[in-house]
Amino acid sequence: MTPADVVFLFLGAVTLGSAVLVVTTRQLVHAALWLVVTFGALAASYLLLTAEFVAWVQVLIYVGAVVVLLLFGIMLTRAPIGRSEGLDSANRPVAIAVAAATAALLVTVVVAGFREAYVELGDPPAGTSGQMGASIFRTWVLPFEVLSLLLLAALIGAIVLSRREIQPPGESSDERPTERPTGPGRG
Amino acid sequence: MDGYFGSYLVVALLAGLGVAVVGGAFTAGRLLRAQRPTPEKLITYECGVDPVGEGWAQSYVRYYVFAYLYVVFAVDAVFLFPWATVFAAPGYGAVTLVEMFVFLGIIAVGLLYAWKKGVLTWV
Amino acid sequence: MNSQLLAQSAVQAPHIEYGQLAPMLIVFGLAIAGVLVEAFVPRRARSAVHAPLTLVGLAAAFVATVLQAGTHHVAAEGAVGVDGPTLFIQGTIIALAFVSSLLIAERRPDTSAFVSDAASVPGTQEERESLVAGDVQTEVYPLTMFAVGGMLLFPAANDLLTMFVALEVLSLPLYVLCGLARRRRLLSQEAAVKYFLLGAFSSAFFLYGIAMVYGFAGSIRLSEIALAVSHSGGNETLLLLGLALLGMGLLFKLGAVPFHSWKPDVYQGAPTPITALMGSCTVVAAFGALLRVLYVGFGGMQWDWRPFMWGIAILTMVIGAIVAITQADVKRMLAYSSIAHAGFVLTGVIASSSQGLSSTLFYLVAYGFTTVGAFAIVTLVRDAAGEANHLSRWAGLGRRSPLVAGIFAFFLLAFAGIPLTSGFTGKFAVFAAAVAGGATPLVIVGVLSSAVAAFFYVRVIVVMFFSDPNPDGPTVAAPSLLTGAAVAVGVAVTLVLGVLPQPALDLAANAAAGLFVR
Repeated sequence: MTPADVVFLFLGAVTLGSAVLVVTTRQLVHAALWLVVTFGALAASYLLLTAEFVAWVQVLIYVGAVVVLLLFGIMLTRAPIGRSEGLDSANRPVAIAVAAATAALLVTVVVAGFREAYVELGDPPAGTSGQMGASIFRTWVLPFEVLSLLLLAALIGAIVLSRREIQPPGESSDERPTERPTGPGRG
Repeated sequence: MDGYFGSYLVVALLAGLGVAVVGGAFTAGRLLRAQRPTPEKLITYECGVDPVGEGWAQSYVRYYVFAYLYVVFAVDAVFLFPWATVFAAPGYGAVTLVEMFVFLGIIAVGLLYAWKKGVLTWV
Repeated sequence: MNSQLLAQSAVQAPHIEYGQLAPMLIVFGLAIAGVLVEAFVPRRARSAVHAPLTLVGLAAAFVATVLQAGTHHVAAEGAVGVDGPTLFIQGTIIALAFVSSLLIAERRPDTSAFVSDAASVPGTQEERESLVAGDVQTEVYPLTMFAVGGMLLFPAANDLLTMFVALEVLSLPLYVLCGLARRRRLLSQEAAVKYFLLGAFSSAFFLYGIAMVYGFAGSIRLSEIALAVSHSGGNETLLLLGLALLGMGLLFKLGAVPFHSWKPDVYQGAPTPITALMGSCTVVAAFGALLRVLYVGFGGMQWDWRPFMWGIAILTMVIGAIVAITQADVKRMLAYSSIAHAGFVLTGVIASSSQGLSSTLFYLVAYGFTTVGAFAIVTLVRDAAGEANHLSRWAGLGRRSPLVAGIFAFFLLAFAGIPLTSGFTGKFAVFAAAVAGGATPLVIVGVLSSAVAAFFYVRVIVVMFFSDPNPDGPTVAAPSLLTGAAVAVGVAVTLVLGVLPQPALDLAANAAAGLFVR
């Protein structure tokens, strides 16, 4: 085992442990904070696999933005601060069984699929932002541009669901529309 | 300390050093300070006035939209890094520039919409 | 840093075939234009701008699709396959979206299906104020166009990454749209949350499937996956699990059993025009993507996936048909009917031949138009609280308004597959293809479930025509030009494809003849 392997195993254990804490802790805010540890350890694993760009995206987007969103989500609800007992339901044993079965299946498949396969990590690394840029702007242009449409649609959706339109002073609210909506066939 | 792993080893060491300094300072403080707690000392400090109610309040949904805008622009910014590394390289040039500005332009439409809906004003 | 490396690999700018992408570009352009309309046009005038813009734009996109006929090409650096089946599916989606848009554009103040102000809490003063002011959330139009654009890209995607992005672009706006019903808002919001949570799960399955398949094939291009599949010797564990997870994501979108449980709730809670859109366009798009993944990427291992698809098809037909009998709500009943029909279409998919492909394409057209027409009728039967969806309220409708009840009965007969309707031709085509493909037992199950399904369609007809009208029963709103047009298109297509199906069958056969481009 190289030192990198040892660190990788360690990071794996941290990821697993903090992920278990995310779902078992009794405090909602702690769950969100443990998620930071999970995401961070994942980012470090990506770094170790020389997926440099993905690792920093993980830090910026997940550790940064998504956890902020999650905490805002918690603050929107009436979730209590501190311990809440209602987090567990009678489904807990079933959930544990499903989670264990899923994990067993995935581990089996990945182990069976890759067996002894060993990839020599290149130096210079294979996942720098330069290489990502080369493939995004050369090959994957269309999905990249469609992604901006996805972000736009999500933004519009979020605003529609959360924001009342403020009436401009000129448009009084008791003014009924005088014109019926028209279709093209209406002439 | 060179090569890919070497360079990140420096990062890891620096991060470790940072944790050690902060952790060390706190541990030293805990060991050295006098500790005589009273119930008054243990309540939350709120500008010298006795705290009222819980420390938790339900927040408005409009703050969620700010957080959401932050996510959208974080995703947006992430794509600027790979773009910045390649667009000046031979063979990319104007087309890559246009690709990025189409992407930014589409998201800017969303920002324009948010602005017209009054989302960006702090009420 | 490594500009040398880049200089070697980068030689030319990516080549985008704008003409071949025109239908999608037009629809996405419509969506962006819709957002700009929302931002800059005064509120009162927005619908008047949106509706013609949407309809004219969709018509233009349809023309752009027709102009591409005969193309057989992989466009946009391998991201999009433009070929006969894809163009046929895209044309179908655009036409169905056009008819659904007629329903969406229907907004006399008393009959609009959409919420006045999505951000107001149900039952509050705010909500009443916005209702009195006659507001309608007009963001529905751009959101619909985003969804339709995603649906156009979904079956055309030639690699799994593009397909995933398209899946999200089509799903996300639909989640929001489901929650925008004007009446029974809590039901609608519940539907949206359910759809969102289950949809997010299915997307995650799809993504995990992509990762597994990439682990096997070393590529996410469908053509290269096909190559890896045909050259694989030995260990296929990753491939099989990957395909299973991909399949779950796709089968969820088209509502096949056992991934169907969202469908009745969502169809019931969503605003009816959106239900019409989901029941027609989304199903067509999901089948298009499923066909492409199975035929192009995994055609070489059809002996592995066919038994599973057999099981799914049988379950879907049987459960869809049987559970539909117990439904008392028109929209829920149509949802289960849509599940059963997904099973019938799957028999055509399983045939995995050019005949199977063409019969599937034909069935999707026939089913899509009948569905939109049926939901258009559902928007017309109303009482003081909005649409009267409970079946008991439909009792005696045939005596009050024989025309509307008669048209609905016609649609139901088409769903049941009675001759001289498009439903019969479609079922005959897929079952014939399945028999030719050696799936006779499946066809027997299919015919039996059709018989069960016919029972509950006929039951609704009996309720409408042979029971006494309720004294305080619902009234039938006089259809406006828009809804009337949607119903008329539904009736016309259902009738023409039933009486004179040959031109459409030929068109589907021509489109399917070249199969998917690799």
